[in-house]
Amino acid sequence: MWVWLEFHRSFQDSSLFIRHFMNKSAQLKIINRFGVTRFLPLNKTVFSIGRKAENDLQLLSDTVSRQHAEIVYENDTFYLVDVGSKRGTYVNDQRIERCALHHQDRLRIGGDDEQQIIFLDDSVENASAIFNSSPNLTLSSPSRDRAPITSANEELQKLARFVEVNQAFKFSMTPDDVLCLIVDAAIEITRAERGFLMLLNTEGNLEFKVARDRNRNWILGNEFEMSRSVVEESFKQNRSVIINDSKITMAGMPRDSVRNLDLRAIACIPLRRFQMTENMDATTILKRDVIGVLYVDSNVSGETLTQTSLKLLESLAFEATKSLESVRLMHEEAEKKNLELELGMAREVQIALSPSAIKAMEHFEVAASSVPSRYVGGDFYDLIPMKDGRFVFALGDVSGKGVAAALLAAMAQGALQVQFASNHSLTEVITSVNRVLAQRSESNRFITLFCAVLDRDGQLTYINAGHNLPILTRTTGETEKLTTRSVLLGAFDFVEYKSRQTRLNSGDVVVMYTDGVTEAVNSDNEMFGEDRLEELIQRNVTLSAEQIKQSILDEVISFTRGLPQGDDITLIVLKMKS
Amino acid sequence: MEISIRTNGKVTIIDLAGNLIIGKSEESLRTTVTQLIAEDRLMLLLNLADVPTIDSSGIGAMIKSFTSVKAVNGKLKVLKPSRMAHQLLSVTGLLSVLETFEDEKTAISSF
Repeated sequence: MWVWLEFHRSFQDSSLFIRHFMNKSAQLKIINRFGVTRFLPLNKTVFSIGRKAENDLQLLSDTVSRQHAEIVYENDTFYLVDVGSKRGTYVNDQRIERCALHHQDRLRIGGDDEQQIIFLDDSVENASAIFNSSPNLTLSSPSRDRAPITSANEELQKLARFVEVNQAFKFSMTPDDVLCLIVDAAIEITRAERGFLMLLNTEGNLEFKVARDRNRNWILGNEFEMSRSVVEESFKQNRSVIINDSKITMAGMPRDSVRNLDLRAIACIPLRRFQMTENMDATTILKRDVIGVLYVDSNVSGETLTQTSLKLLESLAFEATKSLESVRLMHEEAEKKNLELELGMAREVQIALSPSAIKAMEHFEVAASSVPSRYVGGDFYDLIPMKDGRFVFALGDVSGKGVAAALLAAMAQGALQVQFASNHSLTEVITSVNRVLAQRSESNRFITLFCAVLDRDGQLTYINAGHNLPILTRTTGETEKLTTRSVLLGAFDFVEYKSRQTRLNSGDVVVMYTDGVTEAVNSDNEMFGEDRLEELIQRNVTLSAEQIKQSILDEVISFTRGLPQGDDITLIVLKMKS
Repeated sequence: MEISIRTNGKVTIIDLAGNLIIGKSEESLRTTVTQLIAEDRLMLLLNLADVPTIDSSGIGAMIKSFTSVKAVNGKLKVLKPSRMAHQLLSVTGLLSVLETFEDEKTAISSF
């Protein structure tokens, strides 16, 4: 476990290190088309700009390349550098490749005219409050004295700013937060009493996501009295429905449902999917793809919904789905990054614990390797020399994948090393390691393990705890599968493990492997299988341990040609010297 | 995956239909067994006749079920595993712990 902590600390230190080395500070002032200004501090030595979410400044215009430009800090100067964009990078309307930035320079990224970007050198202008314009995270407080509808435009601006600021600072805004804001803004725009947002669930039904009143309180409950017919009409026909004082503005609307609920005004807007994909140069809306509805209503007479507010509501719905999608992508991206970071650390732990792969001893040679799949699995192996000249081979597989599996593998490996170091017998070691694993509460993970001890005169003592059967191939061509029919580790604490023995003669080969080898699948969905492995070893039994190992790895790769590796592939090849 | 419960004498038979793999199926097996234990039904026979595939999570669910029944002095046995399931139980060594039967009558009378 200490390895893990060390990694974590050094990771944190490195980010501090970078900051300390920047003597100058500067920032970008960004003014969007609504006239909303925000400031982004340039607090990194390389600050990236582009359309992809990973960039420090993400610009969604389709004239911006995915990785468009960088602001690089070198020798106390900030440079704007084009990193191979399609539509170019401009400073004060001059196209540049690399250009030192000066106070008040205007930056243009591709053809993006959605916002003005201005470089501010803090040493020139003492911008003491970078966060002066930090977002006021609540929309304007509601009041009974309704503001005129023009204020709705301000609400839209606030929502746009809120989402932008969140993107810029990577605040932890969840899709649900976005939905809630949308409904509040919709109520504000229409001066409605209540607002609902429903999204399609995986079963294809509309599900309530948000139910709010005009005081920005949640309306509790799962079912609400509302006009189902209006919702259905809007959703199925993919169009906005607006009803004032129960006067139906659409043909064929059933009047009763509206009348019975005593609702004076209803508006319902379909939410359409807004797709942004890596491959598309422009964002695309799939018109037919309705993912939900935004619904507001009011039972106060005199509160009518106008065509103007309907237009505003429609543009809100459009902004809403766009924001929703980018927030969703942002979250996915952040989760992916976290996972990759964790997997990276898990992999480091595994590598740190792996023994040096090839060992040549007096009476045998051994070759071993573990090829992790994309998601670190729970394979591990160990080669442990004992003080009395005996030698331990261990090969295991923890059920499941990911960090937890990798750490459990590391733990089991550590336990084996400690136990063998104090010269316990094989059965004692395995029985006690099993007990430790089984007594860890609640965990649903198990380990299959093959563990063998080879003494100086070729006697191999082994326990096979639920693992794939290693193949012993004699020089005569005979094969033997090494099994003790013992149960896998970590399942039952009452099991006593019993070992078996076999004698290895000069030239004999033992191949220990994990299911990543035999369960490798090709494009015809055919498995590599034990028989293929057995024949392969028989053909190559006269080769060295290293050559046999390599021939198996090569054969698996050529068998699965083109398909990604599904599971870790781990092998130990032991060969007795002649 | 569908789970249905029936009784044969003092034994409760859990009929599974579908794959016992990671996700809902392994979770619902564990919930079912926990419920049966709460109802004091402690002689359980897990019928795998209609379970084509079991993965390591499914094995995990079987192990957890077995240990939780055993902890309250009950028994969980296995009926008619498919060829593939039988092989998996054999490789993982579980056959040495989980009593397995090919015939329901024999299984019932073994309790």
